[in-house]
Amino acid sequence: MFAALWEAYKAFGRAVDDHVFGWRLPAHTDDASMPHISTILGSFSKAEVRGRPGIVGGAVLSGSWFTLRLAVTGLIVGFVVGMALAIIMCRFTLVRRAWLPYVVLSQTVPLIALAPLIVGWGNRLKIGSVHWQPWMSVTGMSAYLAFFPIAVGALRGLQSPKEQSLELMDSYAASWTQTLLKLRLPAAVPYLLPAVKLGAAAAVVGAIVAELSAGVSGGVGRLILDYFQKATGDPARVFTAFIGAAVLGLVVAAGVNGLELVLTRHRPKAAL
Amino acid sequence: MSGPAAVECRGVCKIFNQGKPNQVDALIDVDLTVEAGEFVSLIGPSGCGKSTLLRVVADLLPPSGGSIAVNGKTARQARLDFDYGMAFQQAGLFEWRKVIKNIELPMELRGWDRSKRSARSREMLELVKLPEFGDNYPWELSGGMQQRIAIARALAVDPPLLLMDEPFGALDEMTREHMQAELTRICASTHKTVVFVTHSIPEAVYLSNRVVVMSPRPGRITTVINVDLGERSEDTREDGEFFKKITEVREALRGGELGATARGIEDR
Repeated sequence: MFAALWEAYKAFGRAVDDHVFGWRLPAHTDDASMPHISTILGSFSKAEVRGRPGIVGGAVLSGSWFTLRLAVTGLIVGFVVGMALAIIMCRFTLVRRAWLPYVVLSQTVPLIALAPLIVGWGNRLKIGSVHWQPWMSVTGMSAYLAFFPIAVGALRGLQSPKEQSLELMDSYAASWTQTLLKLRLPAAVPYLLPAVKLGAAAAVVGAIVAELSAGVSGGVGRLILDYFQKATGDPARVFTAFIGAAVLGLVVAAGVNGLELVLTRHRPKAAL
Repeated sequence: MSGPAAVECRGVCKIFNQGKPNQVDALIDVDLTVEAGEFVSLIGPSGCGKSTLLRVVADLLPPSGGSIAVNGKTARQARLDFDYGMAFQQAGLFEWRKVIKNIELPMELRGWDRSKRSARSREMLELVKLPEFGDNYPWELSGGMQQRIAIARALAVDPPLLLMDEPFGALDEMTREHMQAELTRICASTHKTVVFVTHSIPEAVYLSNRVVVMSPRPGRITTVINVDLGERSEDTREDGEFFKKITEVREALRGGELGATARGIEDR
């Protein structure tokens, strides 16, 4: 479907030389800007650049796998941090009032500006005998983007039980921790799932962008940059890396959807 | 009467937003004694403080003044000791738990072990006549069935006192009468003391040994009407004495404050 649209647009653009009634088409359609789908697919089996071993497809695959691991680690770290923040903010109204603006503020700092900073700090960081690795910066930035929707969604979910349900737990003299475990956390699940989806997408974007600005090699983000530098010679190659990144996003989204199915199999459909 | 009263309120006051322009005198100088084994209804128009009184007794709200004893203890100690079970207008079952796990919730919080919980919850399902629904999820049950499960949950750890806040208010009339009969049966077989908040005059008369009539602004008790209809059955609803008591309660409600009473009272 997408491939057909791509080719149709390209054929149309070629036919009218990228101009319709004097207006330029939004995207160039020459082979350098929009290679044929077949050329792109063909590129997967071409030899790698600059004497690297293997073929392009293999490089894209291993790059995507590398980035996937960073993004998933980032998502997990972001989930833990987001949940912890939400629980603390739910417990203490004062903390919520004090912290929530900063949680929102944290997302207005552009990742591009933040990345070199984190890398810079990381290089001087040493936890016990473990030296900070560059990939940790990538995971860190991935988590930095992922924690936000999770913290906001979880807070909303933790506050979702009705007054009556809270009174019920009170009437059983349940402690705050018991109320958290038996009421607030299960009630938060329907709010958490869409939050985790947003967080997962953010974690992937974060990992790819962070790879570029942190200068970490081996991932699909770096691959996109590498192939761009060779774009004049082989434009189709860039698109193989794009496809790799897109598939990466789909894999993460599918993972979250699988999680959703497991967690909501015993919930009423209307509540979701 | 042997032993302490189930509920003993002396000069109980509850004032919201004290000293502020939006101050509300929810309860003023309430004296109420509920003996063990009694079924007492609190009735009155919206804003008369009947739900507030129930929550003060349950130690969910602190009173602004006066003293409350539940089973001879402070209200707080009674709550910590699981001396009462509570049922609300919405059944309020946890949708992620199977029916049986909902009934087991208070047992979990009391720290009962698994086999004791499972035996007791099966027993409770029998009591509310829904033994085959233990493994269903609450949203698969009708409103009346959900409310029966909520009653089973309230009785799960066998508290001597039941506090009920309009538990049948959201049910249709047919289901409601059926539930009233069921509650009468359950209370008779388990010897519970019940404090029951309602909007419905016939419901209060049908269920209670005593109907406590309250009036708003400030919330207070105006009249207490003794009801002696013997053992309740469906025939009770046709009984002349039943209608006489309904009229008596209705007049007590009107007598309190003409005009202010009609609101929120179901005359059926």
